[in-house]
Amino acid sequence: MHKTLLSTAILSATVALGGIGLAQADDFPSKPLTLVVGWGAGGSTDIQARVLADILTEELGQPVNVVNQPGAGGGVALARLANSRDEGYTFVFGTSMTITFGPLSTETTYGLEDFRYVAGVTLGQSALVTGEDRPFGDSWEDLVAYAQENPGTSYATQTALDRMIIEYIAQQEGLDLRIVPTAGGAGMAPLILSGDVDFGYSGGTHSGYAETGEMPVLLSLAEDRLVAFPDAPTLQEAGYDINAAEIRVAMVPQATPDSHVERLAEALQVATEDPRFIEITEERILMPVTYLPEAEVTQTLTDQVAGYRALLEELGGLPED
Amino acid sequence: MIGFDAILGSFAAAFHYESIAVILGGVLLGYIVGVIPGLNRAVAIAIAIPLTFYMSAYAAIAFLIGLSKGTAAGSAVSAILLNTPGEPSSAATCLDGYPMASSGKPRKALKVGLLASVIGDLLATLLLIAVAIPFASVALKFGPYELAAILVFALVFIAGMAGGSFLKGLAAGGMGIVLGTVGLDPETGAMRLTFGYAELMEGVPILPLVIGTLALAEMFVQLDEYRRNKGASVIKLGHQADDDLSYREFKTTLPTIFRSTGVGAFVGALPGLGPSVGAFMAYGLAKRGDKDPESFGKGNPKGIAAAESADNAVIPASYIPLFGLGIPGSVSAALLVGAFMIHGIQVGPLMLRDHPEMLFTLFSGMIVASLLMLAVGWYGLRIFAKVTSVPPHIVIPVVIFLCLAGIQVQGYGTFGLITVFVFALFGYFLKKFDYSFVTFLVAFIVTPMLEMNLRQSIILSGGEIGILLERPIALVFVIATLLMALHLGWSGWRHRARRRATTNHAD
Repeated sequence: MHKTLLSTAILSATVALGGIGLAQADDFPSKPLTLVVGWGAGGSTDIQARVLADILTEELGQPVNVVNQPGAGGGVALARLANSRDEGYTFVFGTSMTITFGPLSTETTYGLEDFRYVAGVTLGQSALVTGEDRPFGDSWEDLVAYAQENPGTSYATQTALDRMIIEYIAQQEGLDLRIVPTAGGAGMAPLILSGDVDFGYSGGTHSGYAETGEMPVLLSLAEDRLVAFPDAPTLQEAGYDINAAEIRVAMVPQATPDSHVERLAEALQVATEDPRFIEITEERILMPVTYLPEAEVTQTLTDQVAGYRALLEELGGLPED
Repeated sequence: MIGFDAILGSFAAAFHYESIAVILGGVLLGYIVGVIPGLNRAVAIAIAIPLTFYMSAYAAIAFLIGLSKGTAAGSAVSAILLNTPGEPSSAATCLDGYPMASSGKPRKALKVGLLASVIGDLLATLLLIAVAIPFASVALKFGPYELAAILVFALVFIAGMAGGSFLKGLAAGGMGIVLGTVGLDPETGAMRLTFGYAELMEGVPILPLVIGTLALAEMFVQLDEYRRNKGASVIKLGHQADDDLSYREFKTTLPTIFRSTGVGAFVGALPGLGPSVGAFMAYGLAKRGDKDPESFGKGNPKGIAAAESADNAVIPASYIPLFGLGIPGSVSAALLVGAFMIHGIQVGPLMLRDHPEMLFTLFSGMIVASLLMLAVGWYGLRIFAKVTSVPPHIVIPVVIFLCLAGIQVQGYGTFGLITVFVFALFGYFLKKFDYSFVTFLVAFIVTPMLEMNLRQSIILSGGEIGILLERPIALVFVIATLLMALHLGWSGWRHRARRRATTNHAD
């Protein structure tokens, strides 16, 4: 089904290229731009965005101002962007989960097709993690075997998405898990490190423990194995047909002219090669920098939404207790 | 684990001229904020946080801590010269400070206040350094059961201690709890009390709430008062011969300072009581314990010393639960949590494990801040005395502007502005009807943590209450909470009964 969606997208993009693209003069940007971050100041997205804005300012020759619009896991910023008529002068930098799973798990005023995905610039490193000295060690297979024998094995969840994934896995493997809610990596880490909870979801906190080995990774939730934990298999390798890879992506409203999107994309590509952006992302936030062009990001996100939808249907609606 | 080198290195970093400049900036700004009545610490920190985006993590935190400490010392100036506390917590300083100043000894009063502030602050900082590290390593063993029990205890404790009536305390706490539950249910993802606003999905945003209830509401109250008594007289520093502090006189206040520092540190270490409680408690104890309690309230230097040393001791001590458990013990500590996060550091027991160098640099920065406070206060006495004469009709609009600008800078948009005004109105009535603001705010901050830990405990234990027997620390706190609630209820009832009895007699 998503094949047709994609070809429609490409078709409409081509039409847009012929229609609007030529009509626009190529002086974009001719005034200051606004980079919206859907999270509060100080989060890893915000830290990245501020460096990104500096580089884009140099690249585009116009000031790029960072504005935080926190709320609803990045959703408030997207709801506002969907109504923007700013032709690319205002764009959101955020994580793909907000746009892929957000509309499925909560009621939103926007959807995947309301935006264009200018480029992906960073790959998420989320994972299922555990602590040291557990009876099942740090192998996913052993954990599954252990949980099958020990009903009430506990799992720490942080997002609606990882809750859905673990419920799917529990269904597949016949596990009776106690799923404990936590808030963010800071809420999860003490539970996992102290041993109060057996295993859990981690967005990126585990990368900080790569050297000490205190938070081993059981499964990579990215498309590939994690940079810092090459021994842990991916979801697919473990036999679950889910693509939950998170991408940090720049988004503009669907109606943005092609020439503007292209100009932004060019500047973003330069940013992904800039040592400042690479340093803040790979050394401080510990995520790999990459450049994914619009077509590729759009395809991946469309696939993910279709995958999540199928998964939700299989689980019989929204994961709820 | 933590080498001596690391500690030494951290001190070297704190004594670097750049760090000193940043801390000095914070202390100076804090002093000015403290001196101006109505501009308070929480507002200053909230407004300053966006300023720190461009600083290194260390500089930012050191700046904010300098700011926080400076306000506590500075607020004594306006309390003494204007009879208007620059911070609510300096209200106790007015009691003896103003009479002393109006009897022609303003300089002496200011110096007693300053020395008491600095000593209280410095000693409490040392206590923090001594206690935080062992405490944090114990705290690492605290799981959801222990945390849930401690948080319930803290809530009941705060409701009982913060002000006057236990019932009013409970009501204020209840309002905080209701507001603290707004947003996504952490387990089911259901929306609670959001009324369709996506902005409320992650709860009522803390910054507009704090700026509204604290700063804007305070401005409204001040406007009220300003309209009623326009001509508040300012005491000028003169040149009287006997208006200076001799060492001998100072020495007589020292025991009071040490005792009050202890009281302040104790109050600070308990989450939520805050500097006002500490200052009044220390003042009350000093008065009761003195040979001549009648001299208090008439310009006794011991009164100033007690109030100021306790007020200042509370602040470093309130960082003990913050660094140890991640529980903010005061409004400014709660705002500091946000500032830490901005710079990528998660406050709590893990901070000591993962960023020990940061914690040590912080501690050394705090000591530097104490010393700078003394220097700034001592040499700036005359200048700060002048700041008190900035009239309210200039201060109030400027502060209102800064409050609203702060909200805009944080990116909350129109929604943030509406929230700020709603809470300004709310805070105004809290103040007018004497509901404890501290209880309200701490309940609001603590509720999401409590809910999370309680749910975790229930899920992990499979709903078995018997788990408490395996968790002795949690059990102790549960029992302590029950005893505390019984005691507070009982003493409140007795109090009322006694009052009823006396009114009956009068009839």
